[in-house]
Amino acid sequence: MTNHWNDLQHANVLMIIGANPAENHPISFRWITKAKENGGKLISVDPRYTRTSQMADMYGQLRSGTDIAFIGGMINYVLENELYHKEYVANYTNAAYLVTDTYSFEDGMFSGYDEGKRSYDKTKWAFKTDEDGKVLTDPTLKDPNCVFQLMKKHFSRYDVDTVVGVTGTDKKMYLDICKTYGSTGEVGKAGTILYAMGTTQHTVGTQNIRSYAILQLLLGNIGIQGGGVNALRGESNVQGSTDFGLLYNNVTGYMKTPEATEVDSTYQGFLDRITPKAGYWVNTPKFYTSMLKSFYGDNATKENEFGYHYIPKLSAGKNYSFMRLFDAMYRGELEGLLLFGSNPAVGGPNARQEKESLSNLKWMVAVDLFETETSSFWQKEAGADPASIQTEVIFLPACASFEKEGSVTNSGRWMQYRWQAIKPKGESKADLEIVHMLARKLKDYYKNSSNPADLPMKAMTWDYGEHDHPDIDLVCREINGYDMKTKKQVKGFGDLKDDGSTCSGNWIYCGFYPEEGNLSKRRDSTNEGMSNFLNWSYAWPANRRILYNRASADLNGKAWSKDRVGIEWNALEGKWMGHDVPDFVVTKGPDDPTFKDPFIMIAGGKGAIYSTGLNEGPLPEHYEPFENPMLNSFSSVQFNPAVQFGEKEMNPQGDVSKYPIVATTYRLSEHWQSGAMTRSLPGLAELVPHMFVEISEELAKEKGIKNKDKIFVSSARGEIEAYAMVTKRFKPYKLKDKTVHQIGMPWHFGYKGIAIGATANHLTPHIGDANSSIPEYKAFLCDVRRA
Amino acid sequence: MADYIKFVDVTKCDGCRACMVACKNWNDLPEEPQDFSGSYQSHEKVTANTWNVLTFNEHQRSDGNFEWLFRHQSCLHCVEAACEKACPEDAISHTKFGSVVIDADKCVGCGYCVQGCTFDVVELATYKDKYGKEYRKAQKCDLCTSRLEEGLKPACVTACHTDCLIYDEKDTVLAEAEKRLAVVKERFPNANIYNPQGIKGTTSVYLLADKPSVYGLPENPKVPLSQIVWKDYAQPLGKALFGVTTMAVVGAVISTAINKEKGGHEGGQDHE
Amino acid sequence: MEMNVTRRQFLKLSGAVAATLAVVELGFDEKKARAESSDFKIAKLKPTPTICPYCAVGCGILVYSTEDDVVYTEGDPDHPINEGKLCSKGTTVRQVYTSEKRVTKPRYRAPGSDKWEEVDWDFALDKVAKNIIETRDRTFIQKENGITVNRTDSIAYLGGAALDNEECHLLQKLFRAGLGLTYIEHQARI
Repeated sequence: MTNHWNDLQHANVLMIIGANPAENHPISFRWITKAKENGGKLISVDPRYTRTSQMADMYGQLRSGTDIAFIGGMINYVLENELYHKEYVANYTNAAYLVTDTYSFEDGMFSGYDEGKRSYDKTKWAFKTDEDGKVLTDPTLKDPNCVFQLMKKHFSRYDVDTVVGVTGTDKKMYLDICKTYGSTGEVGKAGTILYAMGTTQHTVGTQNIRSYAILQLLLGNIGIQGGGVNALRGESNVQGSTDFGLLYNNVTGYMKTPEATEVDSTYQGFLDRITPKAGYWVNTPKFYTSMLKSFYGDNATKENEFGYHYIPKLSAGKNYSFMRLFDAMYRGELEGLLLFGSNPAVGGPNARQEKESLSNLKWMVAVDLFETETSSFWQKEAGADPASIQTEVIFLPACASFEKEGSVTNSGRWMQYRWQAIKPKGESKADLEIVHMLARKLKDYYKNSSNPADLPMKAMTWDYGEHDHPDIDLVCREINGYDMKTKKQVKGFGDLKDDGSTCSGNWIYCGFYPEEGNLSKRRDSTNEGMSNFLNWSYAWPANRRILYNRASADLNGKAWSKDRVGIEWNALEGKWMGHDVPDFVVTKGPDDPTFKDPFIMIAGGKGAIYSTGLNEGPLPEHYEPFENPMLNSFSSVQFNPAVQFGEKEMNPQGDVSKYPIVATTYRLSEHWQSGAMTRSLPGLAELVPHMFVEISEELAKEKGIKNKDKIFVSSARGEIEAYAMVTKRFKPYKLKDKTVHQIGMPWHFGYKGIAIGATANHLTPHIGDANSSIPEYKAFLCDVRRA
Repeated sequence: MADYIKFVDVTKCDGCRACMVACKNWNDLPEEPQDFSGSYQSHEKVTANTWNVLTFNEHQRSDGNFEWLFRHQSCLHCVEAACEKACPEDAISHTKFGSVVIDADKCVGCGYCVQGCTFDVVELATYKDKYGKEYRKAQKCDLCTSRLEEGLKPACVTACHTDCLIYDEKDTVLAEAEKRLAVVKERFPNANIYNPQGIKGTTSVYLLADKPSVYGLPENPKVPLSQIVWKDYAQPLGKALFGVTTMAVVGAVISTAINKEKGGHEGGQDHE
Repeated sequence: MEMNVTRRQFLKLSGAVAATLAVVELGFDEKKARAESSDFKIAKLKPTPTICPYCAVGCGILVYSTEDDVVYTEGDPDHPINEGKLCSKGTTVRQVYTSEKRVTKPRYRAPGSDKWEEVDWDFALDKVAKNIIETRDRTFIQKENGITVNRTDSIAYLGGAALDNEECHLLQKLFRAGLGLTYIEHQARI
């Protein structure tokens, strides 16, 4: 989230698209309800009518997988009716930037495409620069090659009739939504967009988010209280585990992992590659070196390039992401799998195939609170023949969150400490203890090795105490970072050095643990203004609660709205002050030429309406899902041209002639993720004891299905049996030239626990987004019949 | 002390069902998983071990608007409580909080309160004593009287994040309720405050989004006259004349009559 | 840091105790249960603040526990986000402790076996370490085309979205910086 939960109350209009917070983030509705009581309007855009839709003032139905069409039409509406925030757009975004002549867009394709590689040459979309590399601009926004005009031309094709013919939205409701949300472009008004996996789990997921960002920049809704683009994160620490680099392509703090290339063969070469020329990321070498120091301590020296070569280099160009990992397992390339609270046999795409790939492992380690479908994939109940599966499985019982201590980072980036309420149940142990015991064992094994391959293990420091249970305070201190000589805690990431004199396990968290103590433990809930609670816990970065908050003030540094003061320039004091920690150089005043460049992380400081960073183009374009019921109305390009295909056998494709129904998956208030925890709790199993599939009355009639009947749902990947829930809340989509049925189902179920049922992911495709590789769980084709 | 009431503004409910589990969590009530209901609703109605149920009602209004109506269904704690009148053992009484509670020591499990209840919220739970012999006790929501005693709000109210459930001073709440009613009328023209005066009001008052019958609630409930006669006249007299046990037998006959007079339970949950 | 916690009360009353039956379970001695529950069950317990383990709203929860049991959990009234409120999942968090489905001892499944065996921690961790060492050492690529790469592509790591930050730090440190794993992924990807 750019903003945070309490801040939702400050919005004039909230648009929830690709999310269902009433069910998946219920307490958010405490603040959404407050916004409504303050006169705010709530819009729910969703393929199905959810508990969130019932709470909304307006509900717009859209066909799963058509967000870009929906938002593209809104962008077009905002531009045509001149509802955008003119000063903000002209000054705070890159609308005035000129784009090179090599940019073009024709019939769904941008310039620079290589069909063989399914990828673009992004340099073709670059900005026009002068000899010094400075971007050329047209402040009048009239130049046909400026971002504003290119965007306008691009989205002019998203007229209302074409849009609703693709999305299936009622035209009148669509226009009402455009008008209501567009009203937040007025100076001083705030609109917020809330999204979650309904947005990201598509082959165009990242561009879906881009479309929200563009709309928000046009309406001047980024950086202000009550605004923002807010990803509602679904797990208690999915923010933290991402921040901490548990992804193949990132180390901590969103820095890249090195690759086995000539450029990356030296630390300096690697740093030069990953460090941009402008924007805050120019400090990357300080953060990277400090991270290496946290890994290897005194063994990271200037002479050995700070231990850079100890961290693994990826095979150049190879994708190691979740689905490719299972492809590799399917091919028998993986021997071992370590699962720390993960249940892909329920949660993975094409889960049946993924589960079967597990048999190719030599060994598996599962660390969890409950037996999961994945840890027990070899059992008869799983449909397996145990005798034929040679995988050795070790299950290590983990303890619950309140049986240990440590911090988690919520969706608003608040790092909050949890204290231990009771000792671990039975012989279960904290994951921290498990990894510590394991690390000590392995360190001990390698300590006398003379093999150069074992240098990383020998160099890695592990100084968290000599007992089985590590001293968590030492871990916290290392994450924040300290001066290597004095051992004094570093105050903030501004103090990190690239000469090896500081360490910091995660630069974006640097500052949470200064000499005074661990600030994530703070419990002062005094509201000192705009409900930012600056003394409650600690928010990264730098305890900042609203990202890009410089944009909450106008060109002179005054708040756009006196009801929504984030930070303001105080000429008397000569600094930025207000209700938040400035996301700007505190003393940078109007005399500075970059005073009006609020987005400090980006080179140039302007919000990116046009971005050359994504794989399928600088502006979002609608493409149909991998499996789709209709031809693309916007171009002759049916499918995202930058999506990469994985192992073919893992991903059979269904056709609309055999599977005519659009299907989607989702979560419910009462269960969580793969259900490993919640389906094992009697109280939640009681609330939702059975797997079901929601279908419309119209489809039920067509198929002769009655409420509570058992039905089969089939896709190109498999078939499941579940109860039919016939409901008025599902409606067929009325598209341009046909009516298409949709069904939906929760993906929580499996055969372990108390509440058991069929696994929805046996149906989902094994293909994902062109940038993030997140699977397309949210839109695929299927058929249904009575059991 | 000021009068306090529980107020349920169903238009604020987002159907999360924290109230259901909060009740069980505080009162240590056992789970009773049900067969697939065909809707999001878990239990058809409240039971002896499930003291509140969130009802989900897919309601197609006559004006064409669709509403998914949620309601926290639980004991209303009637000021004139039919269960109390029906009880031959004086096991049911009002506390100073206005909550209607069942004294387990006095309850003999006869079930007259179950049949007498205006809102169908009392049920019998079956237990076994240490010799394995079964016995029954009437059970229902007690408004978390043990919490009220300690100055805490009922568990369901404490959990509710949209403030659909509140527990506060009666006069303030009812005044606010009128204001709230005016606001929600725009979207829900049939909205109303449900605090039936035929039973002299309730200690758990609703703001409903539609007519009571849409929620399976009686439009204008009364405690049947026969039940009042039974409790206030026949029972004391009978106990004096015949003793307690005989009176329970007489009660069974009267109870059947009461049920006929009530015409069974009204409505029922109109959920898909 | 102070860990100040309060239990919010809306009014303080004294007076008669109403007759209630709080603990009722089939097959239990109802009279004994009633005697226990007549004491206010959380009266003597000091709550410990925690954060809900489910979604990322990050609600505060107070855990009322004894030495060996979680007696009750409720929303933390001092927490600015949830102000004492919780959803159905947050409300049942106590059962994460009490659920009979919890695994409380390490388990081992031998190749080809159709059952789990309960084992002790030493056995289990030795097995884990042995497997990691055996696979890593055999598949480790120290150099590729003359470039030091120090990696193994034969062991994968998955998970972390419900773990603590401190755990994530140590996991990436051990598996990436120490052992050279490249397949490191978690739920953010799916």
